[in-house]
Amino acid sequence: MDDSTVELIRDSLGPLLSGMVKGTVPLTAVSFVLGLVVALVVALMRLSPLWPVSAIARFYVSVIRGTPLLVQLFIIFYGLPSLGATIDPWPSACLAFTLNVGGYASEIIRAAIVSVPRGQWEAAQTVGMNHPTALRRIILPQATRVAVPPLSNTLISLVKDTSLASSILVTETFRKAQELAAPTYEFFTLYMVAAAYYWVVCLVLSFAQTRFESRLDRYVAS
Amino acid sequence: MTSKRFLIAPVAALMVLGLAACGSDSGGSSGSGSSENKEPLKVATEGTYAPFTFHDEKTNELTGYDVEVVEAVAEKLGREVEFSETTWDSIFAGLEAKRYDVIANQVSITDERTAKYSFSQPYTVSSGVIVTRADDTSVTSAADLKGKTSAQSSTSSFGEAATEAGAKVEAVEGFTQAVALLKQKRVDVTINDSLAVLDYQKTSGDQDVKIAGTIGEETQQAFAFRKDSDLPAEFDTALDELRADGTLAEIAEKYFGEDVSGGTTDEETSTPSPSES
Repeated sequence: MDDSTVELIRDSLGPLLSGMVKGTVPLTAVSFVLGLVVALVVALMRLSPLWPVSAIARFYVSVIRGTPLLVQLFIIFYGLPSLGATIDPWPSACLAFTLNVGGYASEIIRAAIVSVPRGQWEAAQTVGMNHPTALRRIILPQATRVAVPPLSNTLISLVKDTSLASSILVTETFRKAQELAAPTYEFFTLYMVAAAYYWVVCLVLSFAQTRFESRLDRYVAS
Repeated sequence: MTSKRFLIAPVAALMVLGLAACGSDSGGSSGSGSSENKEPLKVATEGTYAPFTFHDEKTNELTGYDVEVVEAVAEKLGREVEFSETTWDSIFAGLEAKRYDVIANQVSITDERTAKYSFSQPYTVSSGVIVTRADDTSVTSAADLKGKTSAQSSTSSFGEAATEAGAKVEAVEGFTQAVALLKQKRVDVTINDSLAVLDYQKTSGDQDVKIAGTIGEETQQAFAFRKDSDLPAEFDTALDELRADGTLAEIAEKYFGEDVSGGTTDEETSTPSPSES
């Protein structure tokens, strides 16, 4: 590595970090939290005995999982204005990622709820709990432990997927790298720095996942 | 059994398409004598930038001014052409990564690029224009761009021009998206090649945008190569011949109704002096 490359890497650390802190991380955090709310609602709709309710949820999940994320982003950002709804880049990206997480995570949550033994519901009923209370106090806590590993997967995927927002004018880590590569034509170097940033964030998340799992394990009967 | 018969047509169509993709129409068939022992010429182009490089509506074939010029050059060199269609922002990255050997995509010759890449002699001379919404009267020249927002490919010379004029640049992949953002009032202007804009207005009949003014000086567009390439010299010879026999003018007439290929340059160097931008 010659000096100019080293210098370029040093000069790029700051701007890319700001892309991470101001772009990638908030975009991921907001979309993931909102996405989980959507996912929980959709999962419960899927489990509803009323077939129209579960059909709507099934349709939603099918659309989200059956179309590319990049296409979803473009429909929301470039497509909706022709229907009269012009949404700014940031909210557009949040909306797309929230809907995306909502679709994928709802299946994880549904499977986790179903994985809790039937006997737990029955036990909750015998002590006089109604359905919502049983769900909240008995079922969801146990389902959470089951759902943590696959949901961590979703979160880590989301961190990397947010780079797609660079294509709809959102300035995040990858867009910053491209901006710096534009005048210097040092694409390879800057893409490597960007990749390193993503990797570090994902390593941190993986570590957090391991810690979180072992904490939750204390509540699991063994 | 009948269900199988329905499959035959699409499968046959796919095979025909596949065959058609193997040989470009002007590159000759794969058996043409002189090109047998030569590697195909690997060319990068956007394929989404009319009238320079685009897909014909009817045939879906890749065509355009730049495409035809590079095909004519390849024919002179006795080589097949193999196109890679890439977005503009990653087109130079691919060149460096040796995914292809030449870029045929209206690459303007600038100082920064001459430092990093080799160029052929120019095959287009044009200027940049500022495009605004038709009802916008606030922009008539580059001086009015201060504080405005412009949609550009971040690595394009027009992007640089916009930044220099004091505009905030929103990065997009190409002209099509830039026009979409402009019409959706998400940006105020976009700067692009006068030829591209005129062609867009002509073919789309779009009345919502207009050319509000010009920016910068005349620029020269040329084929770009890696620094270590020996292709520029070959290209220059071929382009000289194509200029002399009227082929270049003919291709230009076809797309622009005028010869935009620039005058003959007597420079023997593969890096003509870039116009100040």
